[in-house]
Amino acid sequence: MTSIGTGYDLSASTYSPDGRIFQIEYAAKAVENSGTAIGLRVKDGVVFAVEKLVHSKLLVPSSNRRIQTIDRHIGLATSGLLADGRHIGNRAREEAENYRETYRTPTPVQALADRIGLYVQAYTLYSSVRPFGISAIFGGIDKEGPQLYVVEPSGIFYGYHGAAVGKGRQLAKTELEKLDLPSLTVQEAVFEAARIIHLVHDDSKDKEFELELSWVGKETGGLHLPVPHELWVEADKRGREALDEDMVD
Amino acid sequence: MSPTVGPVSRDFNPYSDNGGTILAIAGEDFAVVAGDTRQSEGYNIQTRYAPKVFRLTDKAVLAVNGFAADGNMFVKKVKQRLEWYRHAHGKDMQLRAIARMIQTMLYAKRFFPYYVYNILGGIEEDGSGAVYSFDPVGSYEREACRAAGAAQSLVQPFLDNQIYFKNQTPAIDAPFPRHLPLSHVLSIVTDSFTSATERHIEVGDGLEIYIILAKGKTLSGLGLDGVKGLSEVTSTVDDSDGSASEGESLAEGERIFVLRRELKKD
Amino acid sequence: MDHFPTNWGRPRNEAVDLYNTYPLHLRPDNGTYGRPKDSFEEGVQRTRQPIVTGTSVLAIKFKDGVIVAADNLASYGSLARFKDIQRLHAVGTHTVIGAGGDMSDFQHIQHDLDSLIISEFSEGDGHALGPAEIYEYLSQVMYARRSKMNPLWNSILVGGWKDGKSFLGYVDLIGTTYSASTLATGYGAYIAQPLLRKAVEGRENELTEEEAVKIVEESLKVLFYRDARSLNKYQIAIVNEKGVSISDSRIAPTEWSFAEGIRGYGAQTQ
Repeated sequence: MTSIGTGYDLSASTYSPDGRIFQIEYAAKAVENSGTAIGLRVKDGVVFAVEKLVHSKLLVPSSNRRIQTIDRHIGLATSGLLADGRHIGNRAREEAENYRETYRTPTPVQALADRIGLYVQAYTLYSSVRPFGISAIFGGIDKEGPQLYVVEPSGIFYGYHGAAVGKGRQLAKTELEKLDLPSLTVQEAVFEAARIIHLVHDDSKDKEFELELSWVGKETGGLHLPVPHELWVEADKRGREALDEDMVD
Repeated sequence: MSPTVGPVSRDFNPYSDNGGTILAIAGEDFAVVAGDTRQSEGYNIQTRYAPKVFRLTDKAVLAVNGFAADGNMFVKKVKQRLEWYRHAHGKDMQLRAIARMIQTMLYAKRFFPYYVYNILGGIEEDGSGAVYSFDPVGSYEREACRAAGAAQSLVQPFLDNQIYFKNQTPAIDAPFPRHLPLSHVLSIVTDSFTSATERHIEVGDGLEIYIILAKGKTLSGLGLDGVKGLSEVTSTVDDSDGSASEGESLAEGERIFVLRRELKKD
Repeated sequence: MDHFPTNWGRPRNEAVDLYNTYPLHLRPDNGTYGRPKDSFEEGVQRTRQPIVTGTSVLAIKFKDGVIVAADNLASYGSLARFKDIQRLHAVGTHTVIGAGGDMSDFQHIQHDLDSLIISEFSEGDGHALGPAEIYEYLSQVMYARRSKMNPLWNSILVGGWKDGKSFLGYVDLIGTTYSASTLATGYGAYIAQPLLRKAVEGRENELTEEEAVKIVEESLKVLFYRDARSLNKYQIAIVNEKGVSISDSRIAPTEWSFAEGIRGYGAQTQ
């Protein structure tokens, strides 16, 4: 951390001499420390999976969810500061409603990512605020078909076939690259997503985690919904088994 | 086009009259508040069951009559204020305080009034039965009895005669009683409504009579044993059953009962 | 035929121009006389009358559901302006609404309720708004707008089925609400309501869906014969355990040959 002590990292409105804004990079660090979140854009839909780290046994199961619904057809998975994720979710719902009210048509995912990108970027301009400690995966089905975008703390956003953010993103990306995403179905993608989350989870560092799975596809009638319980159980089981097979090798 | 005939300007009229009639009578240690359940507009019966009488607390019942939309909104706001009072003070508001609150709430809309005639019935702190009547902008007074609504002009003279003994001469050595017994009052109420139903097209379908008893009073003590269609609605009573089985009630304070009767539907 | 609604037919009653057969510029009270109360008053526009209107909506309860029906006509005064307008709208999975009155106000209400349903859906808490909640919300919106002297110019029926219980409610532009096992708005309140009550009252828990549809279709037909601002093309919505289903438009066969013999309808010269 060569930035520390230089005085150039105290404000988002200050560049370092080599043209970097350290506050944004620190925000990205907040994301790197958080449980993994992935999104898969496949043939007929989008699947989200989150490794929700459980820091206390006292927590109620399935509380503090990190996958949110933004509109009928759009989901959001975040990595980073939980509270920032909720704030981005609220803002995204407002933007989606505003788009609907203005154009009387379901919000395209790209338009939403664009608006959230602008919003997040605004928090990189002023000394009075801090950038969001969030990487947000937006996904859903719109007029153009399945869509997947990631908005980063800098406000920049890219479209993806498969996206991974948080702790295990490197390994998750490697796994995603092995898949032929455009030809998978959401049914198949749910199992892949669960497998990847189990794979990237580091048992030695983080003990407990909860697997969150959601999808948008034909099965859901174009709605963003949690994966049905039975399917979740099956995907979770197969994810664990795949892990055990790896261990044997 | 002839310039003499043109459309009449019709400004939006935010009010309507939904008919029906209400009345309340205070006894020595009880009060009775009643209303029919027909809701109408002009010659149309909108529904045969739209309640106009509402339990506010275990010692207060409010009847509202006039423009139904205003009436429902007003009752909703009164109930909300009473809930806030309960949260703030841990007890129900006294009847006379509810009466003053209603006057304040009505007058607050003096220049866009709730087009509603209110009659509040219940038990005072001293255990006496009481009736308060209001005009739409909040003028109010405590009375022994009051009728309001479509058939007020039919019912009020009848009550004046039967409750206040107006235009009656007492027999020698038999002065008029100051208070009437509950069973007698209930007869007057049912007669008022059956008669109003006969003579007024906006009255009918159903009748709901709320009976509020002072602390320690029982139905049997007031000569009302085994009356059919009577159910207790006191808050401390589990109303899943509702049948008013007289005897040991959980209620320690005032008690409220509802008596439902059919009225002619034509 | 020309562009002036004035020449398309007069209202039945000159004193009450219910269907606004007078073009806007010919209506007198357009702020031309009387002094404005404040300098900006003329800048504020409120609905003073409906423009494009729908007529009656009918609804009844039956054994295991409710049925709501309305025709597909939106009139501009006496002109049958739009003949393929849907006046029924599903709100969530348990509720349907049907509206008469101003169609643009109704479309506004549809968007408002859609937004409500989406924001409830995105909570993801497993709860869904039922007909009673939607009716309460809608009633409060209608009453609030009338209290601002800026009403949504509609009469609306709300029908629904949730947790094994049916729901039917009415709300209108001044916030009046009521429930009953048969409901009808507009001319339906005069013409169809007596027919519906006769067929339904006391038999709410016996009527089958087929019987209910028959009762409503018969009433719609009577309305079509008597209400000049109605159409024999209509839709029917059923709400039951399975959810909301709104039918495609249906056309009621009608018979007018009897009119030949009636003075004023037929070809008689005297």
